[in-house]
Parts: sequence; C-alpha cells; structure tokens
Amino acid sequence: MNDLLAVWLVARKDLLQEARSKAVTVATLFFSAVTLVVIAFAIGADTRLLREAAMGALWVALAFASVISAAQSYQADLEDGAFDALLTLPVPRSAVYLGKLLANWGFMFALGLVMLPVTLVLYGAEAGPHWPWLVPTIGLGTLGFALIAVLYAGLTANLRARESLLPVLMFPVVVPILLAAVRASGSLVGLADVELATGWLLLLGGFDLVYVVLCTAMYGYVVEE
Amino acid sequence: MTTNTNVRWDRPVWMKAWAALIVALFAVGAYLGLVWSPPDVNQGNLIRIMYAHVSVAWIGFVAVGLTAFFAALYLWRGKRRDDVLAVASAEMALLFSSLTIIGGMTYSRPTLNTFWTWDAKLTLTALMVALLVGYFIVRALVDDPVRRGRVSAVVAIVVAGSLPFNYLAAEWFRTLHPSRAIALDGSGVTMAPDMLSALLFNTVVAGLVYAWFMVDRVRLGRIEAQLEDARVAQEAVPSGKRGVVRV
Amino acid sequence: MEVEGYAASPTPRTGTDAPPAIELAGVQRRYGRHLVLRGIDLEVAPGRVVALHGVNGAGKTTLLRLLATRLRPSAGVARVFGHDLIRDGHLARTRLATVAVFGGAYGTLTARENLHLATALRGAPTDAIDPALARVGLARVGDHLVRTFSSGMRKRLALARLLLSRADLWLLDEPHAALDTDGQALVDALVAEARAAGTTVLMATHETTRSFDLADAVLLVDDGRLERVRRDDP
Repeated sequence: MNDLLAVWLVARKDLLQEARSKAVTVATLFFSAVTLVVIAFAIGADTRLLREAAMGALWVALAFASVISAAQSYQADLEDGAFDALLTLPVPRSAVYLGKLLANWGFMFALGLVMLPVTLVLYGAEAGPHWPWLVPTIGLGTLGFALIAVLYAGLTANLRARESLLPVLMFPVVVPILLAAVRASGSLVGLADVELATGWLLLLGGFDLVYVVLCTAMYGYVVEE
Repeated sequence: MTTNTNVRWDRPVWMKAWAALIVALFAVGAYLGLVWSPPDVNQGNLIRIMYAHVSVAWIGFVAVGLTAFFAALYLWRGKRRDDVLAVASAEMALLFSSLTIIGGMTYSRPTLNTFWTWDAKLTLTALMVALLVGYFIVRALVDDPVRRGRVSAVVAIVVAGSLPFNYLAAEWFRTLHPSRAIALDGSGVTMAPDMLSALLFNTVVAGLVYAWFMVDRVRLGRIEAQLEDARVAQEAVPSGKRGVVRV
Repeated sequence: MEVEGYAASPTPRTGTDAPPAIELAGVQRRYGRHLVLRGIDLEVAPGRVVALHGVNGAGKTTLLRLLATRLRPSAGVARVFGHDLIRDGHLARTRLATVAVFGGAYGTLTARENLHLATALRGAPTDAIDPALARVGLARVGDHLVRTFSSGMRKRLALARLLLSRADLWLLDEPHAALDTDGQALVDALVAEARAAGTTVLMATHETTRSFDLADAVLLVDDGRLERVRRDDP
C-alpha cells in the first residue's frame, strides 16, 4: 500500500514538473509534428502511398518522442542532485521506476491520442469503423516504448554521449513494439480487420507484461552506483 | 609486478589438445559438408553453405541466451567470473551472428539474386548484432568494473528478452497474418538424413569452438583478476595496520 | 560537552547491546582503476557526533555516499544500525537522512512541495512542514519555486528536509558551506539538538574549530584512510 503511494508520489512529481516547465510537451509535440510532415514529404504526392504509410509514420514519430520524454524526465532529476537525494529515501527502487514509468506512459499515451487524428488528416487516411480499437493499440504501444525508454534513460543518464546512446540502445529492443503497433493500427485503419489487429495486440500485451516485470526488478541495478 | 609468480600464464596442455581436436573435427565437418553429403535437389551444391551457416547461427543464438544467463547469475551473486563469462559469451554471440549474416548474404545472392532479404531469421540476426553492439558500447562507457558488470548485465537480459518478440514480429510481419504463421518453422524443409547428420556434426564442432573460447576467456579473466587483486592489494591498506577507529 | 576530540561520550544513550550506528570493516571503494577508499574500519556508537576532516578528494563524500547506499562498497562490510548496506539497503535507508553538497531539491517544485515529496515518500507525517520551513528561515518563500533560490537557501531547504526526516543517523556533507553566519549557527544548533536527542551525526566539514566544539570525535580522511585527530594536533 505504501509502495503504491510512493509510485503515485513519484509519478505526480514528474507530471507536476512537466505541467510547470512544459519542456517535454513543447519538444515532443513539435517534434512529432515535424516528423510526420518530413516523412510525408519524403513519401511524395502519391495519395495511396501516403494513406498506407500513415500508421508507420505515426509510430516512428511516437518512438522518437518517447526517447525525448524519458531523457527529459531524468534531466530534471539530475539537476542539483535531486534524484540522488530521492534515492537515499526509504523507497523501493521499483517504486521509483514505476512512478517514472507511469508519468512517461501517461504523457506518451496522451501524445499518441493527439497525434493520431493529426496523422489521419495529414496522410488522408480514415480511421474506419473500428476506430475505438486504436485506443488500446496506442496504449499498449506507448507503454512498450515507455518501459524500455525509462529503464535505459536511467542507465544512460550519467554516461557520456547519453543523447545519442539512448536511441541506439532502445530502438533495436522496441522493434517488435514498432512492428506490432504499426501492423495493428494499420489493419484497423486500412483493412478494417479487427481479428488481424488482435493478434498484434496480443504480441504488444505480451511484450509489455514481460518487460514490466523485468524492468521493475532490474531498475535498482541501473540507478545504484 | 614481482608478486605474481603464482600466475599461470600459459595455456594448459588439455586446452591445446582440445584446440587440436577442434581443428581436426573442423576438417571432418568440412569434408562431410563439402564432399560426403549429397547435393540438394533444388539448390545443388549451394546447399553446402548451409552446413556452415546454420550451425553458426544456432550456436550464436545459444550464446546470446547464455550471455543473459551469466548476466543474471552475476546480478544474483556478484561473482566476477560470471561477468567474465557473460562478456565472453556476448563476444562469441557477436562473432557468430556476424558470420551468420555473412553466410546468409552469401546464400541469398545466388539463390534469390539479392544480398539482403527481409527473411525473419536474417532480420532477427541483424537486430541481434545491433543489440549486442549496444551491449558493448555500454560496457565501454562505464569505468568502474562492478558497475560495468551490473549495468551491462541489465542490458544483456533486456536484449535476450527481446529476441523471442523480435522473432515473432519479424515472422508475422512477413507473412502478414499472425495466426497462420504461428506454427513456428512449420514451413518445414524436410532434410535428407545424410544432410541432417552433416549439419548436426558441424553444429557440434561450432559448439566446441564456442566452449573452447569460453574456457580460454575464463582463464584470461582469472589472470586479469589475479593481477588486479595484486595491484589493489598494493594500494589498499592492510587490515592489520589500521586498527578499528571506535567512536 | 566533551572538549577533548577523541574522548567518548561518558553516558551511552542506548542499550549496550544495540548495534553500532555505523560499522565499517575493511571497506574499499574504487572508481575505475583508482582506489578512493583504501580500507576503512570504523565503529560509531549510536548518539555520537563525528566530524570528518580532510582535503578535497580525500574520500569524505565517497564515504558519506557509500553510507547513504548510493555507492556500493567494492570490498568490505558496511552496516548501519546492523543493516548490511548491500543486502538490506532499504532497511538502512529508513534510519538515515542526508544533506548533500548540492541542495538535492527539484527546481520546478516549490520548497513546500519538495518537503512534502520527501516526507511523504519517507512515510513520515507531513504536518510539520510549516514549522520546519519557519525554523530554517524559509517561511516567506515556502511557495516559491526552488529554481529561484540561492545556494544558501537551497542548503536551508535541505536542512528542513533533514529536520522532517526523523532519522536517527544524519549524514551531512559540508552542511556549513554556502550558508551565511545565521545559517551556520543554525547548523550548529541543529547538530547540538540532534546530539541531545540521541541522533548519530556524521558530517564532513572544513570548519575546524566548529567541529571540535560540536563533535564527540574528529576524524581525518587522508588519501582513503581514516585517522583520529585531537584538537591540539597541528
């Protein structure tokens, strides 16, 4: 019970800081929008091609945004030794991880829900009759990104070259998330095939489940020096 | 370093014998693959690449699994030897998966007329190389040996955990439909018994090569540790000289 | 109060069978190839106030961070109130509180929010926040963002957090640094109160005269080793 409270306190701290500074909000919103536009330019004027690439572009933008979000949340921690002080409190490291995860995921989930209609408009795609299924897809997909991003951002936070290191480490791990999320949302938007999407959603859910356990258990080794 | 007369620098005889055995068995394996086994009905002599390619690929995957195993062991009990084993296994995994990619490209050029196909297993191997490179980058960036071991152990476990998902995703991605491809590898090339035995023989040889390097790496790790301990012992203040400060 | 630096306090404040507040045996800590702590053997009885002296880089901060469970010992055994720092770090953390060289507070939170976070995470009652802020002279700026604070104000905030912690081992890294005269006197008063209340204090400091007045013992960290010092030592 106390540990759950600790998770919430850490998450609230991260969200409160973000509400004040808006550093991540501005960066990720702008970044995802720019990514979507750039990819659209790269694809060209072929409307059919654009429509088919819509979900791919959305998830690439979200993958990069999750790197920014996680890295930035540690940036605030590292200033003035605040995170160091936090870790000397009698709080389980797993609670710290879950708190930061909760904040990051909540943020990424919201970002995904905002960017979805933007993508559909920009790429001329239609959400289709099964659009409510896109919500759990975005939820599970952004959770997968956040799981790895928060763990690895904690790992790279006090290493040299952390800005470039985080995506290099994280992206190969989240390839299944990227593939599954693109396929799941693609089969909903393009093919309107729920049955096809659920298979991919199961893969997303399985990944999230395995990594919630792994990352929570191993976070202590990452932050302890 | 005059204090290290007890360090055994040279490889023991049995390891040399083992190395000689490997070379001999390797020659036998090459003979089995290149001469003894029959050419394939469809692919002719090209199938012979498979004996080197598949055996190396299998051992490569085993090596990644063992890296995570030793990493978990290191996190659990903190013995330096487990870290040495984890790195050794990761190095072999990187070597074997790189060879797998080269083998795969050699294989697909004449058969499919392209160097690269988004075949599930080849894609998975390429990702594995990327993941392992990440592991070694992290190791290179952490100076303190204990922290290096612990942090990279976390990476190793994350890497190994992602491989099944990567495999499923890559497999389903290609076939487009999850449920239809779930019969893993049911696309079943049924292999002639002679071919299978040649392949298994070569796999055993590859496994022996892996094991030899692991044992040798542990030997080097032990020497390293002895030298390191001797150096630290010179810097450290021996307990007898201090006496406990009681307040 | 004891004047002689190394003299033990005459009245033990806890039962004699209680484990030492700090117990270090053969503790080493490496950074890369360099051994920063070269073998520390130390026992601090509960309720003692101990000052750590030593030049920059001698290993004072490393020792304090190690005791706060932020750094693992590379060798040796370290215990706080009988809790092994490697195996039972979470238990040790329930007993200790730190004041680091840096303020250790979040810049985008207010002083009050920072104190609430630290106190609630500790599971301690949060109704004493206002008195604590008043005590360290930050009552007027309790709702200001810490980002706007000077380094002295940040140090005061860290002291408020320390007060609220109710921990029985204080690990203070240069508590007087960055503070004005009033603030330094506040530190002295807090340490004296802690001493009276039976709290164990280990503080790294460069304030030589102050530490001889405040502490039961003064130790010198010299190149990763620990020595006892007396007031009349050069």
